[in-house]
Amino acid sequence: MDARGTRPASAGPGLPEGRDRDLDGLLTKVARGDEAAFASLYDQLAGPVYGLIRRVVRDPAQSEEVAQEVLLEVWRTATRFDPAKGSAATWMMTIAHRRAVDRVRSATAAAEREKRTSVLLTPGDDVAEAVEASLERERVRRCLDGLTELQRESITLAYYGGYSYREVAGLLGITLGTIKTRIRDGLIRLRDCMGVT
Amino acid sequence: MRFVRPDLHVLAGAYSVDAIDDDSERARFEHHLRRCQQCSDEVRGMAATTTRLGFAASAAAPPQLRDHVLAAVSRTRQLPPVVDHGSVPGEPRPRRVPRSAWVAVAASLAVIVVLTTMLVRTQSELDKATARDAAVAAVLAAPDARVITQATSAGGSATAVYSLARHALVVASAQLPPPPRGKVYELWLLGPPRVRPAGLLPATTGGHTAPVLVGGLVSGDQLGLTVEPAGGTSRPTTTPIVVLPLRA
Repeated sequence: MDARGTRPASAGPGLPEGRDRDLDGLLTKVARGDEAAFASLYDQLAGPVYGLIRRVVRDPAQSEEVAQEVLLEVWRTATRFDPAKGSAATWMMTIAHRRAVDRVRSATAAAEREKRTSVLLTPGDDVAEAVEASLERERVRRCLDGLTELQRESITLAYYGGYSYREVAGLLGITLGTIKTRIRDGLIRLRDCMGVT
Repeated sequence: MRFVRPDLHVLAGAYSVDAIDDDSERARFEHHLRRCQQCSDEVRGMAATTTRLGFAASAAAPPQLRDHVLAAVSRTRQLPPVVDHGSVPGEPRPRRVPRSAWVAVAASLAVIVVLTTMLVRTQSELDKATARDAAVAAVLAAPDARVITQATSAGGSATAVYSLARHALVVASAQLPPPPRGKVYELWLLGPPRVRPAGLLPATTGGHTAPVLVGGLVSGDQLGLTVEPAGGTSRPTTTPIVVLPLRA
């Protein structure tokens, strides 16, 4: 029996039942200019937003700068949030990841890459200060463990490392075709393991 | 639609982790995504999946960040909903158009009239048409040209006609108040791979600014407008008074 297979690690969706709906409701209020709702949203999602950016960008000062930009962008563009297309949490984390990647992919960050490479492959090492992620981290780790090594490395380098698939292919010494397939296979397997709908 | 181009479809994973750094490749995939229900469903599931990966990296935000963000929020105007004139076949229309959107439509039409007037004049003076005029006309006439108008937090509105195929856009403004003494309005291309200065807005005449041609547009860029010291700067030093998302 393969204990590291793709069985769901939890019954429901990723965030506790109802939490996603609460966040969606808050963001809808934010879209109407409700600053108090924004403060509540901040209290619930600043940790994940900052943590993700910090993981990708690594430098604390730059991470804080990017996080501030992202959170302000959430306020400014809340009017564009469409719950039919995904949850508020997904919307915000998508913005956060994109901005973090923009930051590390800019030319000035190129010199920092070497430094980041050495620590990329140990997810979880710098999140000791995580406030709410321990359970989530455990589940994610279990699902990541269910991937092949190549899938896991590809996704870790691309998502947490902020590398392009070309760069990941170079780092792992495999073809572009293979890397595209592995990232996709791996995400599908993660999705099934997490029970995400 | 059942037909799926395998070469593009396989990019769903890389796309979902922001790992496509080639703008034209990403644009091709996004184009495909709008026509392939199966692909957009897949990308949606992957976004929910990466959200979980993101949550697993949660860390305590620096304590001062909260005050900084909330202070910035209290002095930042929210963007009105996007008015997208370039509808994509098969893409559902927005369910409702808020009243403010009609104001934006009216404002953008006013600016289009200005742009068109300029274009017509340019054609009538074809002999002395400059390369710049031709480039402006090329953007306005591009098959993929789109128009977006938004109110700025300083008042008035900014309108851009943009063509990703031509990597260029034309910007004009309407009813924008003059910048404070010793300041100018500076345009920026925001976003991948970085923030780039995109020129200064000329002085307002008759409530409008003359169209500014900006090159070097890549997919994913947004257009920002900030107030900067006279002469402009190489990096924005203030919060944009408007940010136009230039979506493909």
